[in-house]
Amino acid sequence: MADRIVVTALGILSALGQGLPDHAQALSNNIQGLDHPKFLKTIHAPEFIMGEVKKSNDDLAAALQLPTGDNGYTRTTLLALTAMQQLLKQIDAPLLQDETFAFINANTVGGMCSVEDMYFDFISQKKEGYFVKYIDTLDCAESTENVVRYFGLKPHVATISTACSSSANALILGARMIKHGLVERAICGGCDAMSRFTVNGFLSLKNVDKFPCKPFDQNRNGLNLGEGAGYLLLEKESDAKARGATILAYFSGYANSNDAYHPTAPSPDGEGAFRTMKQALDSAHLHANEISYINAHGTATTNNDAAEGKAIQRLFGNSVPFSSTKPFTGHTLAAAGSIEAVFSILAMQQQIVFPNLNFETQMDELEISPVACLQTNIPIHHVISNSFGFGGNNVSLIFSKE
Amino acid sequence: MMNPVYILSACAISPQHSFEVENFLNLVISADDGKLFVAEPDYRRFINPVAIRRMSRQLKMGIACGMRALQLANVSMPDSIITGTGLGSMTDMEHFLKDMITLQEEALNPTFFIQSTYNSVNGWLALQTKSTGYNQTYVHRGFSIELSLLDAQMFLNEAQTSKVALVGCFDELTADYFVVKSKCEYWKESVPNSLNLLSHNHTNGTIAGEGAAFFALTNEPKQLSCALLGLKLLNLPSSKDFLQEIQGFLSKHGVELKDIDVAIVGKNGDARFEYLYDPTLAAFEVETHVLAFKHLTGEYPTASGFALWLAVQLQHWNQIPKQLILKSGTRPKRNILVINHYVLHTASLMLLQQQ
Repeated sequence: MADRIVVTALGILSALGQGLPDHAQALSNNIQGLDHPKFLKTIHAPEFIMGEVKKSNDDLAAALQLPTGDNGYTRTTLLALTAMQQLLKQIDAPLLQDETFAFINANTVGGMCSVEDMYFDFISQKKEGYFVKYIDTLDCAESTENVVRYFGLKPHVATISTACSSSANALILGARMIKHGLVERAICGGCDAMSRFTVNGFLSLKNVDKFPCKPFDQNRNGLNLGEGAGYLLLEKESDAKARGATILAYFSGYANSNDAYHPTAPSPDGEGAFRTMKQALDSAHLHANEISYINAHGTATTNNDAAEGKAIQRLFGNSVPFSSTKPFTGHTLAAAGSIEAVFSILAMQQQIVFPNLNFETQMDELEISPVACLQTNIPIHHVISNSFGFGGNNVSLIFSKE
Repeated sequence: MMNPVYILSACAISPQHSFEVENFLNLVISADDGKLFVAEPDYRRFINPVAIRRMSRQLKMGIACGMRALQLANVSMPDSIITGTGLGSMTDMEHFLKDMITLQEEALNPTFFIQSTYNSVNGWLALQTKSTGYNQTYVHRGFSIELSLLDAQMFLNEAQTSKVALVGCFDELTADYFVVKSKCEYWKESVPNSLNLLSHNHTNGTIAGEGAAFFALTNEPKQLSCALLGLKLLNLPSSKDFLQEIQGFLSKHGVELKDIDVAIVGKNGDARFEYLYDPTLAAFEVETHVLAFKHLTGEYPTASGFALWLAVQLQHWNQIPKQLILKSGTRPKRNILVINHYVLHTASLMLLQQQ
């Protein structure tokens, strides 16, 4: 049997805190991280709640021993560096120096969070000013390149941008590159900082809830935005065992497929979500009834939850517990896939199913409903985690305990 | 090592007459102001007339180029769509951002936000071709098209049956982008006519450009196709390492520097990067053709997509257009090496072989 891909280290940062213990604590005690944003300077702050990381840019910079103030590091990069620092602490430094490895990052709007405050300086005739430090930070690869430079790494780099499924795609790419022998290890994940650009983009689409979002609820009224970063170290099982690493989970299956239906809306019958989950099951050689928990995309938008819910019902019936963790973190966009991959692993480690917070009313279109309260002592062997993005970009990942 | 993949078709939208190839760069277009914009084809032949009205230039450019590449390959539904862009849709991003600032976060048009998403071209191509297969978008500066090609090579190697991947790239030049990057010495201050760019290699900077290029790739060996044997992505190359890297890359594919018949290089007239190309070019055989292209396209993150399009065209035309020739050679055009450097410290190599 071919060598399996395993997860051996991880780093995570979100509105719930930093590192695995913070997240385990919050998720198993119904502590959600949403509030009116404190650091994002938007006129919508008093009206909307969001999943903001509870640290200022200066706090983040100081913890990374970087200068505070306008240091040329965007919040996007600071989030990425913080999560990566946690991950790198779990492995021996030389491990990533001697061998070929990949750093595969994912992101939706690069350093827009900084650029949007200085854009008119960018395009003015002015050639000097603090804005110059940020001049190469608008694109998605800025955080990738900054991570590489900060930690002195020389990996094979890649940055993916497929909207809300970006970091789930980064994990797939890492696994494939290892399987093809292009690299021995891959650190994969994504980061996104909230920006006024993104907040106003989603507001213009009129799918943001002012109040805590209610995934898979009849009265759901849109998403809450969030921010964060999550990274996972992938390698072959044999390589992990040879170096005595602790195997956190097996990355046993995945699929990426496209809705080919509409630029932003999913196919209403959930055909795309169904196909993607089915293909992921096939790639893991698993039957639907072998899945112990479905970590749903569950954004709480009208369209997503109807489509995803129908797909879950069709594929799994009512036999598999499912929930969305978006009410805890907000929708962290490009980071969501990797953050929820970490949650999937946490569910297996702790033998718990996270509650789908704020669920009250059964959806008319569905006969199934999400797990409303925390379930403990549930044997969890296989978790499927969904990430569906604009452009019909659907990804499902499967993590296994053994 | 992965098997080669075969290029069934190539389409480029560029500042030159590349979309409808009736002749191969016989008549070249130039610019005196340091900006080369694409010659836009009639997009209505490739895009739904209702949808086209709201689409930005880059979206139209990407979709039309992708659809044309499929048409040339006689493929209606690719098994996979993989693209790369360094910049995404600048026009949409700028529009939404400036509106957001000036309208103070009120009454914004979502169309620009949606279209500014980097994978919007991918989504549309999937929609138009009904392709529900693997769909991916890379946004990594000077590696964007290279990563797309690498992914396609993996995808086609993973397949057990004959499959087609549509792979492409697009980048758009805007007035704002030009101003922003002028602040980091991207462009020449004293601007020559674009056709003279490569001889103005004693000053810093280059000229700005844009373009789209798409390719239909398959895993099934095809006669008279161009095979992509392999790719190499390099960070922060120095000149000495660079030649060694090239030699190492070639030998992995059973080829030596002397076996290269045609080299297509991304020289862009910027004095700072000449050191990378010069030792390599000196190491080629006298019979090797050396071609350059950035005086015809300008510089942009996915310019190597145009170089790949050129490599494919070489097979179809006996004569190499004189505007491309940096050094005239005598070899048959079989082994082709594309060497490209992009300003933010990356370089890439692509090894091709005419079948």
